[in-house]
Amino acid sequence: MNFELSEEQKMIQQSVERFVQENYDLPNRIKISSEDPGFSKDYWSSMAELGWLGLAFSEEEGGFGGNQIDTLVLMEQFGKGLVLEPFLANIVLGGGALKRSPATHLKEELIPGLIDGSLQITLAYAEEQSRFDLNDIATSAREEGDKFIINGKKSMVLNAESANKLIVVTRTSGGQTEEKGISLFIVDSSADGVVRENFPTVDGLRASEVSFENVRVSKEDMVSKKDEGFEILQAIANDAILALAAEAVGAMEVLYKDTVEYTQQREQFDHALSDFQVLQHRMVDMFMEYEQCKSLLFRATMETVQDPKMAQRTIHALKHLIGKSGIFVGENAVQLHGGMGVTEELRIGHFFKRLLVIDSQFGNADFHLDKFTSL
Amino acid sequence: MDINLSSDDLAFRDEVRSFFDENKIKSGEDYFSWRLGWFEKAREKGGWDVPKWPEKFGGPGWTPTQHYIWEQETAQANIPFDLPFGLGMLAPILMNYGNEEQQERFLPDIRDRKVNWCQGYSEPGAGSDLANLKTKAVLSEDGTYYTVNGSKIWTTLAHVADWIFCLTRTDDSGIKQQGITFLLFPMKQEGIEVKPIITLGGSHTVNTVHFTDVKVPVENMIGEEGKGWTYAKGLLEHERTGLAGLSKSLVELEQLKDNARSIQRGNGNLMDDSSYKSKVGELEIDLLATEFTELRSLASAAAGGEPGPESSILKLKGTEIKQRIQKLTVEASGIYSSAWGDKGAGPSFAKGGTAGYLNSRYFTIYGGASEVQKDIVAKKVLGLTKGSSK
Repeated sequence: MNFELSEEQKMIQQSVERFVQENYDLPNRIKISSEDPGFSKDYWSSMAELGWLGLAFSEEEGGFGGNQIDTLVLMEQFGKGLVLEPFLANIVLGGGALKRSPATHLKEELIPGLIDGSLQITLAYAEEQSRFDLNDIATSAREEGDKFIINGKKSMVLNAESANKLIVVTRTSGGQTEEKGISLFIVDSSADGVVRENFPTVDGLRASEVSFENVRVSKEDMVSKKDEGFEILQAIANDAILALAAEAVGAMEVLYKDTVEYTQQREQFDHALSDFQVLQHRMVDMFMEYEQCKSLLFRATMETVQDPKMAQRTIHALKHLIGKSGIFVGENAVQLHGGMGVTEELRIGHFFKRLLVIDSQFGNADFHLDKFTSL
Repeated sequence: MDINLSSDDLAFRDEVRSFFDENKIKSGEDYFSWRLGWFEKAREKGGWDVPKWPEKFGGPGWTPTQHYIWEQETAQANIPFDLPFGLGMLAPILMNYGNEEQQERFLPDIRDRKVNWCQGYSEPGAGSDLANLKTKAVLSEDGTYYTVNGSKIWTTLAHVADWIFCLTRTDDSGIKQQGITFLLFPMKQEGIEVKPIITLGGSHTVNTVHFTDVKVPVENMIGEEGKGWTYAKGLLEHERTGLAGLSKSLVELEQLKDNARSIQRGNGNLMDDSSYKSKVGELEIDLLATEFTELRSLASAAAGGEPGPESSILKLKGTEIKQRIQKLTVEASGIYSSAWGDKGAGPSFAKGGTAGYLNSRYFTIYGGASEVQKDIVAKKVLGLTKGSSK
């Protein structure tokens, strides 16, 4: 066993860390987030130029042949700055679907654009009734000659506002919650019948409700095999969980360290707050949660690289722990910062919001505990 | 011991209910004129417009049980909003420590809801350690006015307040609880600058307030110079029990269950989900216990004047319960809990649910952070002080 990163990975880690330090102080993040399109196009181009967007694609796809460990390295550092650029939406979700697609013509056509940053592709999977169930798909794709007609509504689609294309999870056969009968299609976001309703999210990112009314696509637009899309969807969700967990671990590190620093500076009752044992122990608890999350993140990521099927149970465990611990660390960072913690003025509140959102994405703590105990 | 309400109490409850029923806002009626009319009618009932005021000052002189009934009924009925600052916080201080001239000058306007007050206590360096406050008030040579300089923080609704009741430092030679003076002055005057603080929920309720050479006539000082801490401390304790808000939580819990039931899961709904259901159940059990802790506290206050030791845990439990309700609302919202603003998506209760949760983190901080509350319980109730084990 070896927990060491490779030399290349260490270099990337350092360069992302530097990027975050130089570009992601709180005022700048707020500015970028509040202006359209909600992230910096310049930063996105830099990320492409530095090769970060291509890390996890294979060499034949034009990438660097990396895996989930490379994504972990990036996302953990992104988490320390609450980076707004749509890496998760485009690379982990959109790219994750294409990477696993049997449709070589789509891969050849689209992956280079993802890697050079010129193309944005997100995944539209969730629906109002589905809550966290990946298999609950009511949006239909009805076959008509050599075309498919898509009808339905997708919820909380990340970065859809900026996406050129959407990968839509549809039902081509079977009952609403059957794993079989799910198919993935790629659709132009400007196609006739696609309507996006955009709004900001709690963490300063963007999402959309996207409706599809008689949207016509062809067989060539099918990203998965017909009726066999669930396996791809599950694999993308697992990658997304690993990526979000890495981001959360980065965010938790900032929160516990900021809290330790703040309580050493803030004086009440003629003592630094950090002199009070009850607060010391609370910070030890925060630190412990952070370390445990990091351990389970490494475990789940290493297992996935080894054998994705074997890792499923650990991934559920990870998302449960990240949700629970992330909120514990966030709530206590706020509590120990007192009134200031509840304002927009300190960065800790923003990190807390991101952790809150992470718990709501790809299944919350309860959902994954249930999955974990039933496997 | 008897859990039943007496026939008098039942009659009182019916009277309260029919009063609320008869005075509901009519469709198309202007809210603010309805509100003032409502308080006028409540006053005619015999001080129902100021339920917590003593009889001597026009209050209804209710028993603790009647107060409890009122709390319960108001939590469920649609009655006009009221702010606590003048009515519940300043008024008792005026009644106990103000002179007659001050009582006549300020109490009627408070009762008529004519003047909005804000509370100038916390400062950037004086949060949990409130006595550390530094806002200076210097008496003029002729002894007719104070000049106030300094800053307050977390001042709720300062941006709409007409007047402020403010703790200032007139002497820093002794221990810090001494030399604090309680002053009243208008907010809309030169030398007062109010700056908004935006909270995590995205809303503007609290502010920082800066005073530059604000002149306050000595007639606006309550009680004696340097004794303000004693006056404020009594008020803070009052604030701490008042923050439990249990009746409201009971109503919100029922709303929470309704919301969860509206989320379909398989053949059932979210209240059939075992983890979610357990959390709601645990919350309700805590609420059932805390409700009776409050009643025991009220009863012992009625019997002996002093609230019993159980009252010390009310703010701790009450605020924690409120936060858990908010958290479970976020969880019920599922994927939609991350939508921000009015546009958003998903079930209607999801809108603003996360903002409510984020702002609710403040509950265990303001009016004495939970950690400080526990220190007080340890010291005052359990008798634990440094060296107490020897």
